[in-house]
Amino acid sequence: MKIWTSEHIFNHPWETVATAAWRKYPNPHNPAVIGTDVVERKVVDGVLHTHRLVSSKWYFPRWTQALIGSAKICYASEKSVVNPSVRKMILNTVNLTFCRYVAVDETLCYTPHPTDPGKTLLKQEAVVTVQGVPLNNYMEDLLTNKISLNAGKGRQAMEWVIGKINAEVKDFTKSTDEILHQTKKSLDDITSTAKKSMDDISQKAMKSLDDIQPLRQKF
Amino acid sequence: MNSIGDACKPLKDEYDACFNTWFSEQFLKGRTNDSMCEPLFRVYQDCVKKVMKEQNIEIQEVEKDLLGTNSERKVPPKKS
Repeated sequence: MKIWTSEHIFNHPWETVATAAWRKYPNPHNPAVIGTDVVERKVVDGVLHTHRLVSSKWYFPRWTQALIGSAKICYASEKSVVNPSVRKMILNTVNLTFCRYVAVDETLCYTPHPTDPGKTLLKQEAVVTVQGVPLNNYMEDLLTNKISLNAGKGRQAMEWVIGKINAEVKDFTKSTDEILHQTKKSLDDITSTAKKSMDDISQKAMKSLDDIQPLRQKF
Repeated sequence: MNSIGDACKPLKDEYDACFNTWFSEQFLKGRTNDSMCEPLFRVYQDCVKKVMKEQNIEIQEVEKDLLGTNSERKVPPKKS
C-alpha cells in the first residue's frame, strides 16, 4: 500500500472552484477522461450528494497487459458531497475496473483557505494498493508516480476551466449590459413619445378651451 | 464531455447545462430545492441506466462487503 498526499491553493473563491470542479472534464490536460455520467444525485438537508461513473482511457505498458489485461476503457466510481453552508466539497474516487489487483482510492477536498476566504485550499490523498501480482511494490510506485503527475495536470485543468467560466461570465455581463442599454434606450424613446403626445394633448385641449371661451362669451 | 452511451449524450448535455446553472445560481446561494432540472435528469438517468446494464457495468460493486463474507477470497489449501 502506498499513500500519497498533496496540498494546493487556488487563487479563486471556493464558489468558483466548486463550480469549476463539476465542469473539470473535458479539458486538454486530462485527455484520458473520456466521460462522466451521473448515476445518482440528491439534496439531503441542504447537502448535495452525487454519484458519478467516470470513464477513462488508460494506456498501460505492454508488459503489464498480461497481468491486468489490456482494458482500454476503465471505469471509476466518484462519490461527492457539497455543503454550501460550510463551503466544503469532498470527492472520493475508487476504480471499478481491474479491482482484483489494483485499488486506487483518491479523495479531493476543497475548502476555503483558513486565513484568506478569497482563496481555496485543495487537499488531496490517494491510497494505492496492488495485490496478487508479482512486483507489486514496483507497480504501486509506478501508479503513485502516475497519480502525482496527474494531480499537477488536474490543477492545471481546474485553472483552465475557471478561466473558461470567467470568460463566459464576462460575455454574459457584456450581453446583459447591452440588454440594459437597449431597454433604457427604448424606455427613453417611449418616454419622449409619451411626453410629446401629452404635450400635444394639453396643447390641443388648451386650444379647444380657448376656442370655447369666446363662444361662451357670445352666449 | 461524453457519456457511456452515445445515445445519452444529447440528454446529458442538456441536463449538465441545467445543473451547472442551478448549482451556481441556486444551490450555492442557499436555494437547495433541486426540482429545476428534475425532468431532464430523469430522462438522462433512464438512458444511462439502460446502457450500464447493456455494457455490464456494476457501479455498486465497490459497496459490496467482501471481508468476512463467503465472497472473500480464501487462501488456497496447502498442497500436502
